[in-house]
Amino acid sequence: MRAALREAVALVRMGGRRSLLAGAGIALAATMLGTAITVSWSLATGFDRSADAADLPHVIARFDRQRLDDVSARLRALPNVEALSYRTEITRVRIAAGTGSTGRGVIEVLGPGRRGYAIVEGRDVHRGSDGVVLERGVAREWGVHVGDRISFGRFGADRVVGIAVGPDNVAYPLASTARVYVAGSDEGLRRFGVNTALLWTHDPARVDVTLQQARATTFGIANLRFVTREGVQVLLDEAAGIVLALLVAFSVVVLGAAGVMLGVAAHSEVQRRLETLGIQRALGFPRATIVAAHALRGSLVALPAAVLGLAVGALLAAGPTADLLVTLNELPPGAALLGPLALASVLTVALVAAASTWPALRATARQPVALLRGAELPGGVRRARVAISGPLRLGARLAWTRRARYAGTVAVLAVCVAVVALLLALASLLVTLRDDPATLGKRYDTVVALAPSAVPAVERIPGVLAAAPRMEVNGADSYALGEPVRLIAFPGDHTRFEDPPLASGRRLAGPDEAEVGAGLADALGLRVGGTLAAQLPSGGEARFRVVGIVRALETSGRVAYVRPDRLLAAGAPEATQVAVRSAPGADRAAVDRGLRALGAQPVAVGGATSSDASLLATLAALLRVLAGVTALVCLYSLVQGLALIALERRQTIAVLRAGGAATRTIALLLAGIVLAAAVPAAAIGLALQSALLAPLVGRMAAGYAELLPRAGIGQAALIVAGLLVLCAVAAALVAYRTVRAPIVAGLRRA
Amino acid sequence: MRARGLVKTFGRGRAAHRVLDGATLDVRAGELVAIVGRSGSGKSTLLHLLGGLDRADAGTIEVAGERVDGRTERDLARLRARRVGFVFQFFHLVPELSGAENVALAARLPDAAPGARGRGLQLLERLGLQDAAGRMPHELSGGEQQRIALARALVNDPAVLLADEPTGNLDLAAARTVLDLLREVAEGGRAVVLVTHEDAATSAASRVLELRDGLLAG
Repeated sequence: MRAALREAVALVRMGGRRSLLAGAGIALAATMLGTAITVSWSLATGFDRSADAADLPHVIARFDRQRLDDVSARLRALPNVEALSYRTEITRVRIAAGTGSTGRGVIEVLGPGRRGYAIVEGRDVHRGSDGVVLERGVAREWGVHVGDRISFGRFGADRVVGIAVGPDNVAYPLASTARVYVAGSDEGLRRFGVNTALLWTHDPARVDVTLQQARATTFGIANLRFVTREGVQVLLDEAAGIVLALLVAFSVVVLGAAGVMLGVAAHSEVQRRLETLGIQRALGFPRATIVAAHALRGSLVALPAAVLGLAVGALLAAGPTADLLVTLNELPPGAALLGPLALASVLTVALVAAASTWPALRATARQPVALLRGAELPGGVRRARVAISGPLRLGARLAWTRRARYAGTVAVLAVCVAVVALLLALASLLVTLRDDPATLGKRYDTVVALAPSAVPAVERIPGVLAAAPRMEVNGADSYALGEPVRLIAFPGDHTRFEDPPLASGRRLAGPDEAEVGAGLADALGLRVGGTLAAQLPSGGEARFRVVGIVRALETSGRVAYVRPDRLLAAGAPEATQVAVRSAPGADRAAVDRGLRALGAQPVAVGGATSSDASLLATLAALLRVLAGVTALVCLYSLVQGLALIALERRQTIAVLRAGGAATRTIALLLAGIVLAAAVPAAAIGLALQSALLAPLVGRMAAGYAELLPRAGIGQAALIVAGLLVLCAVAAALVAYRTVRAPIVAGLRRA
Repeated sequence: MRARGLVKTFGRGRAAHRVLDGATLDVRAGELVAIVGRSGSGKSTLLHLLGGLDRADAGTIEVAGERVDGRTERDLARLRARRVGFVFQFFHLVPELSGAENVALAARLPDAAPGARGRGLQLLERLGLQDAAGRMPHELSGGEQQRIALARALVNDPAVLLADEPTGNLDLAAARTVLDLLREVAEGGRAVVLVTHEDAATSAASRVLELRDGLLAG
């Protein structure tokens, strides 16, 4: 082992620039890895981390204002309750501080007890002390710091003493309301009453039991709504969940791509040295020593490169990811990220060591004379089928003869192409999700707050194809009250207005039937023929027979399409909005004018994600970072592969130069080599993205819906053009380096 | 071909080694000049300078009336393509190309002489390489490989042919054939410079020059 270590150190030292080059490649792949891990880990664990840090309650109960003692008496009697605290939420307060103001401010008057938010700057508020705690999103948006003044319209003004993160909602301005926390007293809350209760349970897994009991014992508390931690997460998902899931899924794919690249880079390093291996074998070096030396050499080069690359990747992604987390009211992972990064560095080193060991193992199994004869060309050279008609084709032919390396280069480039294609497709999909209601299966383009009786008048507006009252009721599953259910009801055929694709079963045909989203079906274990029992905010229950499962994207697929009859019978209020479907080519402005004439304010229907500009800008920054790293890896792979071939082919190049080939001819020859790999790689990469990665990412991000981030023709053309530019850059770089070397150096016997 | 006062030094400072120290050479068309000298005397270096593969520290070189020294790399490439042919000890055939394709390779360079492709086919026939033309280098004997290399060197009809130990890797019979061909080339009106350390090669030459202490002596 000591001999192998000595040999490995010698290999690294002798390698000099080559070791540096190999290290650079590993560092680049590790950068991709670091970026992917930072994004996926931070986002995937963001909610749980923040909920734990903020001590988010297991259940939040909201109701019309009640006497504190009445509520407290009933909630204290519930089973499994560990702690309770109360708030009075005062809405529609004009708040102004720093550079901003809003009329949709919310003052949370806190009772004694646990808070459910995390202080990230300054201190918390206490009973009897001055000052307020401001939500971080508001503070950032308005440039407010601890110590600044804040005014609350008719409630006066105070000083900000702390900044907090409350992960029960996304942050302002993604959430439309700006929250301020002030300390209240028991006496104050008793006098004014409370409208929010926070419940912490002993056993969060049994929160269901607590909720069932709560339903039974809270009779008389008006407009009672429960939100569990899981429900909060679903609500957050509604804002950006699909986007986050897409990013996480993308990162997982990048992890795989980085693995392929690391493996190929390490493999090619050993391939370079096959002839030296032959000499060592001929001199009597034991096979085990040679193999161990290569494994150790790979590890010695990989360790610093992996650590550096992972650190750079993490730093590159940290900023945009932290911004994204802030937008979602979540906390950055901090030191918790070191664990997965350390594990990734260990795996990277192990992968490089394995990729170095395997070819060394195979090579040393061959006869030394075979290695000495020409490494990869043991039985002579295969004749290529393409006729030589110029340097480009000659280059292609030279590339094809090194089949193992050619396949490796094609694999790396194809993965790069596939990842970039996925990236561009994701960017397009994000825009579509934001802007296109059709992604939700919605076929109407406008909603207006009108009573159902106004539908005939709406339908008479020129340009309106159809209109219908739309009911939307947010309830919970009767058997699992922690599971939120959104019930959407249209009278008659709902597919005229919302038409998510049917995954199984059939469309609903009567008032006792329901089509449920695949997300809801998964969460509740529902199948066609089963029963959906929904607890409504009114306290009533509506039951439906499940006749179909649909791939709905809205609220993570936790929706059910029903007819309004049973909802109304269970006490749900009548529809308050009308969905308006414009005729193809209709003048939307004229339709809007017609709707305004009816006294309603038309609202354009958006897509599945938030239209918040800062969130999308942050996502765009993240995607740009990932794209930049991928393009760098691609360029590195091309230059490295080409430099290796130029090195091996120095005699051929020297003969060509001796025969009068100028720099341009050598550049064309090298371009032929890279194009031979790039052209099939582009085709394979695009096919890989379309046939495998797009469905894979779509399924990982939203298995409950049909989501296909598939690159379009324009994007494919852009990728191919970009790859050709990278090929040209790589060929020019290597040609410049090659012709700077003296011709006679290449003519010496290797 | 004319060379005057060629100087070439390798290394720097105390490690500097002056290989050529004012070497002068004249080779006329139709002449085959053999250059001999002990190993490391600078024979190959001289050949590289004459063919524009390397640059001299001092001195002038003229090939077919064109100056070699002081040219840009691009001009040198054009000169090599049209005026100079090289034959190497280890043949340096491209292993993926057949014999005929190796010959055609030089004819496909952008600065190749007009009619080079046709001349390549003629050369294959004239050098008795019809059978070897379709085979790959590793399927050819050393003599066949060197004759292919010779055809490749002549495909652009150069005024000067420079051969670096062309028989150093061949058996006696194959070496004889190659030397006969080189003499034929010279008799065809080209200037041929041959670097060798073999007696058989010197006996085929019109003149023999010895390179010693950086200078050529007749």
